[in-house]
Amino acid sequence: MKNDTLHLAGVYTKTVMKSWFQYKVDAVLRSLAVFLREATGIIVIYFTLLKFDTLNGWNIYEMLFLFSLLFVTYGILIIFFTGLRDFGGTVRSGNFDRFILRPRGLLFQLIFCNADWFAAIGHGGLGIVLFVISAGKVGVVWNAATIVYYLLAIVGGVLIQGAIFLFLATLNIYLLETNSLKELFYWNMRKFAGYPISIFHKSIQVIMIYVVPFAFVNYFPAQYLLRKSDMAQYPDIFMYLTPLVGGGMYLLAYAFWRFSIRYYKSSGN
Amino acid sequence: MISFEKVSKFILSEVSIHIPAGVTTGVIGVTGSGKTTLLKLACGLLQPERGSVYTLGREATIPSGRQTKLLPKELGVLFAHLPLLQPEESVRSNFQSRGLIYRMPKERFWREYHRLSERLGFAEFQQEKVQTLSLGQRRRAELGAVLLHQPKLLLLDEPTVGLDQNAKEALRSLLEEREADGLTTVITSHDMSDIAAVCGRIAVLNQGRLYAYGSRELLLKKYAPVDVMQLTLRSGVPNLEDLPVKSYAADNDKWMLIYDSNHITSAEILRTILTTCSVQEVSIHKPDLEDVLMRIEQEKTEVTEEQGKT
Repeated sequence: MKNDTLHLAGVYTKTVMKSWFQYKVDAVLRSLAVFLREATGIIVIYFTLLKFDTLNGWNIYEMLFLFSLLFVTYGILIIFFTGLRDFGGTVRSGNFDRFILRPRGLLFQLIFCNADWFAAIGHGGLGIVLFVISAGKVGVVWNAATIVYYLLAIVGGVLIQGAIFLFLATLNIYLLETNSLKELFYWNMRKFAGYPISIFHKSIQVIMIYVVPFAFVNYFPAQYLLRKSDMAQYPDIFMYLTPLVGGGMYLLAYAFWRFSIRYYKSSGN
Repeated sequence: MISFEKVSKFILSEVSIHIPAGVTTGVIGVTGSGKTTLLKLACGLLQPERGSVYTLGREATIPSGRQTKLLPKELGVLFAHLPLLQPEESVRSNFQSRGLIYRMPKERFWREYHRLSERLGFAEFQQEKVQTLSLGQRRRAELGAVLLHQPKLLLLDEPTVGLDQNAKEALRSLLEEREADGLTTVITSHDMSDIAAVCGRIAVLNQGRLYAYGSRELLLKKYAPVDVMQLTLRSGVPNLEDLPVKSYAADNDKWMLIYDSNHITSAEILRTILTTCSVQEVSIHKPDLEDVLMRIEQEKTEVTEEQGKT
């Protein structure tokens, strides 16, 4: 009976799917809409960058490779962390109270009751398209080592962003609303992360390496594979740290969550 | 089973109450008196500002980590405003998910499911999606869902809203059966008749304070002891001189006597009347919990007026 967690995860996933497929056309269009919305942004950037040969030494395909890491990790992220991203709404709807009163882990329920599979297809799909377009043209030698590194970097990138969502969800327990913080620390920083951080002012670089470490989601992993000259200004070790940063951040955020959950207050009647 | 020690939270102020195991307790009070807050404190969804709350022998805090696997399994909680079932799933598959969540062995699950669906009458719409059900149908299914895993402690917030008389009766008999097996239940309700039918103990909340707590009979004796006897006489005139009747009214052969049941019983009054009269018909109106609440409200008004004068 103890090993029924996967079965329950399957049941929750089926329920989420059923919920989306109540409106079948809308469900499919959602994936398409997310894909096109994000692709439009990339197309605008693509045509802008065509006017330049390189951006601080990065050509257009290397930039697309950078973007692909961002989208692939986000695609996986919203399968597992949508419940944390939208934690405020879950609390307000009373669903979190329901989770608390069940004999199952809170994070387990938050993850599997809220997986956004259709947006994941949109974001992840775009990430894969960008990867396919760019991977063959950026001079990466794909062998067992680079493939393993790439996969570990993806896992680390997902964990870094997941830790940010988990940290913000935990702050929600104290502050009741963290949408502005999410806008500031996640969405704005993610916009910077589409470009090589070396083009930004030193203060932004510090934030992106040490505060909201998006640089470890795509810039440093891309540097390991592409070895661009602007890496010279950072320690080489940074190229190998993504899985560690992800794991470490997630453990810290999880400890913060475990400590704070006892202070949760139901939203009232 | 549940113990509040000088608990203050929101409107609740200095509430101390002990609800023993195996008893069904009703919590009554007007809207905003703190009934739902009391239940949320009991299950740990709210933490007291002052005082302490112990439920099932443990401090009622938010369960996390290891505790999660212990406390909620023993609890069945239904709040009027909290969604309990997945709206886009059928009643049956909601129950199957719940059986899995509570790690119920298959055999026990189906036995309980069939029993509850028959008793609470949701077998007939078990394949319907929850979002298509009427309020009463949904409430029947929700009540079944909280009883499914056979909790030790049941907290029900306004459970009879939307239920028809048959469903109320089914709920009452289910709770009585489970009480005999040791289930502890705390119910809040606006409908005093529902509470009276099920609860061995009643707690009265008034403006966040525990105004009264005890058996139904005790509360009635203390706060609404006035009985009304209506008589239709065949002959004679009753001699009321020696009876401690508060007031009476007569219209030819019809008499109405109002008296304090703490001072004299209906049987004693009737016995005295029968010495001088022949009685054709008699009816006695006993006060109910509605009268208790009215009396409390009345006392509150009197105190407010008194304070206004001084």
